[in-house]
Amino acid sequence: MSRHVKYVFFSIFLLLVQSKMMTLLTLEGITPDLLTIWVVYLALKEGQLIAMPWGFALGLAFDLLTGNFIGLSALTKTVAAFTAGYFYNENKTPLILGSYRFLVIVLTVSLIHNTLYFLIFTQGSEIGTLRAIFQVGLATTFYTATLTLLPMLAFARKYIT
Amino acid sequence: MQRLINILLIFKEYFVLALLIMLSTVLLSLNDNAQMRAVRSYTVGFIGLAQDYLVTVPNVFELNRENAVLRQLNVNLSDEVSRLRDARLENLRLRGLVGFKEQNPFTLVAADVVGKSYHLLRNTITLNVGLRDSVKIDMPIISESGLVGKIIAAGSRYSIGQLMLNKDFRASAKVQRSRVDGIVSWEGGDVLRMKNVAKMQDVREGDVVTTSEYSNIFPRNIKIGYISKISQGAGTLFKDIEVTPSADLIGLEQVFVIRAVADSERVAMEKNMTRTK
Repeated sequence: MSRHVKYVFFSIFLLLVQSKMMTLLTLEGITPDLLTIWVVYLALKEGQLIAMPWGFALGLAFDLLTGNFIGLSALTKTVAAFTAGYFYNENKTPLILGSYRFLVIVLTVSLIHNTLYFLIFTQGSEIGTLRAIFQVGLATTFYTATLTLLPMLAFARKYIT
Repeated sequence: MQRLINILLIFKEYFVLALLIMLSTVLLSLNDNAQMRAVRSYTVGFIGLAQDYLVTVPNVFELNRENAVLRQLNVNLSDEVSRLRDARLENLRLRGLVGFKEQNPFTLVAADVVGKSYHLLRNTITLNVGLRDSVKIDMPIISESGLVGKIIAAGSRYSIGQLMLNKDFRASAKVQRSRVDGIVSWEGGDVLRMKNVAKMQDVREGDVVTTSEYSNIFPRNIKIGYISKISQGAGTLFKDIEVTPSADLIGLEQVFVIRAVADSERVAMEKNMTRTK
């Protein structure tokens, strides 16, 4: 089976989990973003050029599934894929995915992603932009990064040991 | 072309990013929520600010179009100025007439000159007032400048005025300064003649000539004109006096008819006296 077909199935699975089941992991209104972890993974594995359309498609699908702000996740996930793609090195992919670097990259990308997301999402609303970025955005970033420990450890076990 | 393709290939990630961002922006713009309304208002503000700065940069094509519009506007405005100038002149002339009418002690009927008949010896004008307007034969015609003539025929709606420049015209006249009497008539040319003024009488060039109280037709003190030339006629007791009419008898457009008729008792008595003699 082509790896891209695997990506499609896994993406659908993650979309369903993120949109329907992540409320189970919500803490104080903060939900981790599995799709961002997945986009970062794709960018580190495939590079910017392939990851960006994936990010766009995943974001758009998520927007359509949730019926929220159509196009906002598509934009932020594209930017996330582009940013993560800067850390792409095809010779060191297993090393990056199985080490703390993966965690740091997700943290960085998630921070950019959430900043951009809340920068647009809070426009015209009574929620202060800076407050949303620092309170919700940072918490989501750290929660997402924490959740990244699971795939990181899995990759470490798979590639390094 | 190949070079362009090479550039595209070198920066392909950026082109893809730009394309996807554009697609996302289009999708975002389809939303109609508070966030997008706020973003739209910021965008409009930003574009307005940018246009404010960019407006100082001249646009050649726009300038050509603007020049054409301004030229057309210039023509229209020139035309309007011309019409306004005419209206102003007409307004001044009519104000003069109205002022004259208000100051005049006589009952006046305003009339437009609708026809002119300048023959060699009998010059007349046609007025658009007649019997219906209480205009009758022998009523004096004046303008704001002075005496014009008198009515010699009156129809229902129109009347004929005999100008002073008519060989049948006669008017008792007086030199305003020295109260010297005479008869004003016309013998051709642009000037009137004042007759029956003795050589010894005090008459000077520039003296104003008015109608006198001796006339049965014309009320007194209506300006006829001024003395423009005096000559001592050879072999006669009288001066040869030329009087230039104060009214422009050639360019008349509006006149007034004085609703004054001769006192019938006075006329009858004077006629009776003449017969007795």
